[in-house]
Amino acid sequence: MHKKFTTYFLSFILLALILSSCSSGVNYNQIQFGILAAQKGLWDEAIFRWKKAVQTNPDSAAAHNNLAVAYENAGQWDKAKIEYERALKLAPNNSQIKANFENFKKNTEGPEKDKKDEKK
Amino acid sequence: MKKNKLLFVLILLYFASCSSVNHTKVAVQVPVEPVLDINQFDEIIVSDFLIKKEPEDFDLNRELVTFFTTEITQIIKGRVSRRRISLDSEELFKNASFWKELLSGSQKTVLFTGIAEYTEEIRKAVIRTKKKRSDDHYSREGAMEERRFYTLNLSLYLIDSQTGETLYAQAFKETQGYLNPKQTGPFAFFDVAEKVKGKFFNQILNRVRAQQRYLILR
Repeated sequence: MHKKFTTYFLSFILLALILSSCSSGVNYNQIQFGILAAQKGLWDEAIFRWKKAVQTNPDSAAAHNNLAVAYENAGQWDKAKIEYERALKLAPNNSQIKANFENFKKNTEGPEKDKKDEKK
Repeated sequence: MKKNKLLFVLILLYFASCSSVNHTKVAVQVPVEPVLDINQFDEIIVSDFLIKKEPEDFDLNRELVTFFTTEITQIIKGRVSRRRISLDSEELFKNASFWKELLSGSQKTVLFTGIAEYTEEIRKAVIRTKKKRSDDHYSREGAMEERRFYTLNLSLYLIDSQTGETLYAQAFKETQGYLNPKQTGPFAFFDVAEKVKGKFFNQILNRVRAQQRYLILR
């Protein structure tokens, strides 16, 4: 009897974990929807979704990173930089965010660096 | 036994869902900030170039002026005009008052000029062929081959008509090699000029650069 109860209890816990922590939640849906929109080139929709995701969960590094990518695509450098910095603050060891930010810096610092070199 | 199977399947599902791919790549069109936005000017005056070394078989200044006038006209929104200016010294490019005086009365105008040098070089090398057979006394192990190389050293300047100050200065060095020993300088010029054109316009126009970024799921 006791063994049966333990098995059912464990199954219930695992099912709850699968449904909640790993692949569900309002925030996750917004992020995923934003990604689908971005992949179809609907960047305004993606920004709208990721902004909602940030409002729901301000500690989501994924939402901040994705929002930064969308701002970068729109040429809004200042906003993109802020979002990348927030994402990196929340997940400093995330290699994807670090790679995105490095590429972003190469694009934005390139012309300014050239100008400085010319002045010298 | 059946219950244990269910538990096992659930454990598998849990790990599968947690260890699934966390990110995806997306193509982005990143706008590139130009070094100088040429479209802010109403007029671009193409002047003569200072030629440091004149090639024997063609007029380098005329070719440069024709090439860049045509290319700029196609790409720039503003008016493109031509002005004959005799340039005899590199020092003139540092003299803002010279340009200011020369372009007095021009509003929102930029002068396009530069310093050019076009050289031809023949490089020879012994190219190793297949190994000589012991019974073959006539075939050679190596053969002398030559390549023609043409180099365009071009410093381009954009000068503000109101202040005479240099707004943009960039040196380009482009080389193109040819196997054809009969390749001529004028034809090679267009190949190297095209290379300079690509780099120059990328710096002065608002362009987009295709890149990739990571989007993160969770």
